[in-house]
Amino acid sequence: MDIAVLVKASLDVNLVRGDAEGRLLKEAIPLAISEYDRNAVYEAVRLRDALGGKVYILSVLTWGPTQRRMRDFENVVREALALGGDEAHVVVDEAAVEAGPKATAYILSKLVDKLGGVGLVLCGEASMDMMASQVSNYLASYLGYNSVTFVRELSIEGGKVRCKRDLENYIEMVETELPAVISVTGEINKPRLPTLLQIRRAFAKPLKTYSLSDIGVSELPKQTPTKYELVKVSRKNIIIEGASMEEIASKLVDKLIEEGVLRR
Amino acid sequence: MKALAIGFKPSDLGEALAVLNRLAEALGEELEANALIISKEPFKHGGFHKIYHVKTASLYNSIGSIYKVMDDLTVDTVVSPNIKDGVDLLGRVATKIDGFMVTEVSSIEKIDGDVYLARPILGGRATAYYRYTPGTLFTYTVGKFQPIDEAGEPDVIEVTTEPGSYTVVGVEEKKRGAVDIESAEVVVGVGRGFRSKDDIKMASELAELLGGEVGCSRPIAADFGWLDEDRWIGISGKKIRPKLYIPIGISGAPQHIMAANDSKVIVAVNKDKNAPIFNYSDYGVVADLYQFLPVFIKVLRERLVK
Ligand SMILES: Cc1cc2nc3c(=O)[nH]c(=O)nc-3n(C[C@H](O)[C@H](O)[C@H](O)COP(=O)(O)OP(=O)(O)OC[C@H]3O[C@@H](n4cnc5c(N)ncnc54)[C@H](O)[C@@H]3O)c2cc1C
Repeated sequence: MDIAVLVKASLDVNLVRGDAEGRLLKEAIPLAISEYDRNAVYEAVRLRDALGGKVYILSVLTWGPTQRRMRDFENVVREALALGGDEAHVVVDEAAVEAGPKATAYILSKLVDKLGGVGLVLCGEASMDMMASQVSNYLASYLGYNSVTFVRELSIEGGKVRCKRDLENYIEMVETELPAVISVTGEINKPRLPTLLQIRRAFAKPLKTYSLSDIGVSELPKQTPTKYELVKVSRKNIIIEGASMEEIASKLVDKLIEEGVLRR
Repeated sequence: MKALAIGFKPSDLGEALAVLNRLAEALGEELEANALIISKEPFKHGGFHKIYHVKTASLYNSIGSIYKVMDDLTVDTVVSPNIKDGVDLLGRVATKIDGFMVTEVSSIEKIDGDVYLARPILGGRATAYYRYTPGTLFTYTVGKFQPIDEAGEPDVIEVTTEPGSYTVVGVEEKKRGAVDIESAEVVVGVGRGFRSKDDIKMASELAELLGGEVGCSRPIAADFGWLDEDRWIGISGKKIRPKLYIPIGISGAPQHIMAANDSKVIVAVNKDKNAPIFNYSDYGVVADLYQFLPVFIKVLRERLVK
């Protein structure tokens, strides 16, 4: 059974940049693999090793300008290949930049069509940067596949997939028929860092790049934010200093009493 | 404006009504609010035109019936609390009605005559604004909109369950203590600065002294299993809004701190003066927690009994 894994080159949330006026400097933020997508690749590799087939890495570059992002983007895709993907199919097109989750899902559906369909699609439960958790359901709907979200354990048997959905208060076991799109949580496995050899091998694996017209996409269901704003953290940022731990502790207690947050 | 609110538990409806009223007010339109309850037992709430009820605790048992309700009712928007089932459901409905969805809306703003849905992105470091147009569905952050309680007993329309192509084969309880750190007044956060499970006792002692609860960063619950998952604070764990949050030995990763930014006062203890957590704190103590905590507990004890 062939498996497609959706991998996003996410803005790196640890390297958010802004200017003094509170503007978000998107273009200055580097890309990194979206964390939960690594779990998805790792899970796909585990299933492939048990069931046979291929693992396709699919990705759409959604942060621009695409020209300047290419090196970062390729690194992300190569990382997914190093984790065990067999080949990568990616879409790079200025029209896909910030087009929103529905447009991304639509593009991915055309990419899956191009591959002639797959038995299973895996992705992370949310991307690191936008955390919208929408692509998997949209994609399933475009493809006519079943969709199960927030899965922390899954097994496949006789054309069916059994999933443990990790909900806020309990875990729900759901069964559905393949083909299906499944979003996985960070708890589903613990991906190992790729070895140097795996990284080197990843550079020899096929990576095919398409434009939107290559996969027959002309119009996109776009949903782009009108604006972004940097969040200002307005904390006092006072470091309590003192000659001894006692002095520091005592000064801190004074402050907490002043703030009215101590139960007296 | 005609809207549908999804409710999984009774308190969802008052909050949904607040969200919808805010939206209608911003748009300058009359509101007709309807509700769809997915729950073992129905519940009533004033302010709604029609209340539909699907008698099941599981979304996946009811997807078919929800589509039927959507066929029955043409609405401009559907809103749900931002819980996993709510996000899942709206994603499905958005494709069904050919609309768009915005996840985790924390405020509704009117700017230059247009109405925007604002949501946190980039681990809470930035806000994205989406223009609202009919056909935009959204989940709202729980706890951000002051619930509206309205009297009245609209009729409840029972909808038969139709699972569609899914079978729910069982439910497992999560391993949990009886804590609710989301509503705790004081939270003491345990991070990787703690070297062993046993050392967490210090944090528990401090929490008890302050009348609060112990919470933790992800590695403490997910990787080490030193504390149950219901104490894990972060985008993939619990969101807290105490009067006082004291992260100890926690570096201040965006995925963690974003879920604590609604705290009134934050006091960080970390031995690294460059730890990002200090940027998100009101007060900081640069010290080894093993040296500071015993003294802090002792001083607090003396001062609190006085
Ligand atoms: C997709 C994704 C989702 C995530 N979701 C969450 C989430 O929901 N919640 C969450 O918490 N994290 C989450 N994380 C993980 C997050 O990125 C951080 O890795 C994590 O929060 C770090 O935990 P920490 O601060 O305890 O550990 P570290 O980052 O290792 O920090 C330990 C800190 O302790 C200090 N320290 C060490 N020894 C001492 C000492 N003796 N005294 C005082 N200070 C000491 C160090 O200076 C350091 O700052 C997520 C990550 C990803 C990729």
